[in-house]
Amino acid sequence: MTIHIVEDDPGVSDALALLLASVGHETATYPDAESFFEETPPGERDTVIVDLGLPGLTGIQLIRWVKGLKNQPKVIAISGQSSRAIDSLLDGDTPDVLLRKPLQEEALLQHL
Amino acid sequence: MREDYSESLSTDASVSKARLHSVLDTAVDGIVVMDDRARIILYNKACERLFGYSAEEVRGRNVKILMPEDYAERHDGYVRHYLDTGERRIIGIGREVRARHRDGTEFPIELSVGEAHTPEGRQFIGIMRDIRARKAVERRLAQAQAQLVNMTRINALDEMGAAIAHELNQPLTAIMLYLQAIKRKAAGIAGLDDTFASVIDKTVKEAERASQIIQRMRQFVEKRDPERKPVDVPQLLKECLELVSLGDISQEIQLSLDVEDGLPMLHADPVQIQQVVVNLMRNAMEAVKCAPFRAVKVSASKTDTHLVIAVRDSGPGVPPELVPGLFKPFSGSKRRGLGLGLAISKSLAQNHGGDLVVEPGGSEGGAVFQLKLPLLSTGEAPPAERADTN
Repeated sequence: MTIHIVEDDPGVSDALALLLASVGHETATYPDAESFFEETPPGERDTVIVDLGLPGLTGIQLIRWVKGLKNQPKVIAISGQSSRAIDSLLDGDTPDVLLRKPLQEEALLQHL
Repeated sequence: MREDYSESLSTDASVSKARLHSVLDTAVDGIVVMDDRARIILYNKACERLFGYSAEEVRGRNVKILMPEDYAERHDGYVRHYLDTGERRIIGIGREVRARHRDGTEFPIELSVGEAHTPEGRQFIGIMRDIRARKAVERRLAQAQAQLVNMTRINALDEMGAAIAHELNQPLTAIMLYLQAIKRKAAGIAGLDDTFASVIDKTVKEAERASQIIQRMRQFVEKRDPERKPVDVPQLLKECLELVSLGDISQEIQLSLDVEDGLPMLHADPVQIQQVVVNLMRNAMEAVKCAPFRAVKVSASKTDTHLVIAVRDSGPGVPPELVPGLFKPFSGSKRRGLGLGLAISKSLAQNHGGDLVVEPGGSEGGAVFQLKLPLLSTGEAPPAERADTN
């Protein structure tokens, strides 16, 4: 099982990958939704961590696509934006888990 | 042709006098003629309405009775000064002065003064326009504008707070995750100096403290809700148009308003909505400044669920590369300001449960910004605060 990290902020992306690797997870990082789509789709046992405020295709577009897969991975959305902005971004859709930045280790790890 | 005129160009004294009186009494402005000792010779109908004295009452009296005391005291001196020196202070210039009604009320007038040399000596003609109504409009617009500036400041602060919170969250998130990763690594190393682990712990605590400050800041700026009341949209848009045209008289931009009939009242914060519309209009006017045809059109219409206010300009449209960042704070292409205008506008729209969207336009025409506000929002609160999962 792989944890796919789709996050445009290189610092957050790298730190997340490093932390998850240190607890024994296999990770793959993508700077945007487009590059995520270029790779093999994730499997049922994978997890996708996606930032809602991605440039280009948005995090919510990625979540909708993932939710349309036959074998759905778990989706964790992360965002540093205000709750109103998040509501408007989500527009009624709901990811499996929504975490707000700054991320806490325990909050994240309990969902993996 | 000439003969026809010559008859009416009679110089006969009685004809010319009758004509003069009819001219005087038709005039909307107050007209007073005084002699060189400031005595009133002529006083028209408009003056009677303006000052409350009849012509009979004032004829022969000093013109001072039409002035507030402080002017009246100095008036004789002014007249004498002019007669002695020929130095013009008001004649042929005209200015805003205060006048006094019979009942003592003072009011602003625009006064222009002319001079005539007659066989009976020098006479002075004063033409007075009541500018109370104009003053009231000016005052109301100034108040509205001051209110808008104030609102803009408050919202800029809110938006800046939210933007800073968001921007700082990224590196802070990275720092905390890095620290947590290194802490795990360190825990696996046998015989490592204790200070190593404790320093990491302390650093994590400090980073958490910073993150709490950001969360408090975020809660603070997110709490402000719109002060909703019933809003008459056509009236509000008319005021917006007045406000922006007040600042840009010389630019020759064709501003127009097109409001669908029978729009329902909107339940919204009028100041915030006005701020958004004014901001969009100013942007639009900026966008058409260099265009061959300069027009900004504001329209209002309704769908089943929303009231839509659209601001359309005849400019070159929004360049495609700017579209993605258009509503993000600090991303503006303007040299002045923080580029917060559209970000604030969008968040104000969202606070109302609505949205602000753009059709960038381009080769076909200018950009169209649409402010969409929900119609059935009586008593409806903005989306509930999401409980933080972290």
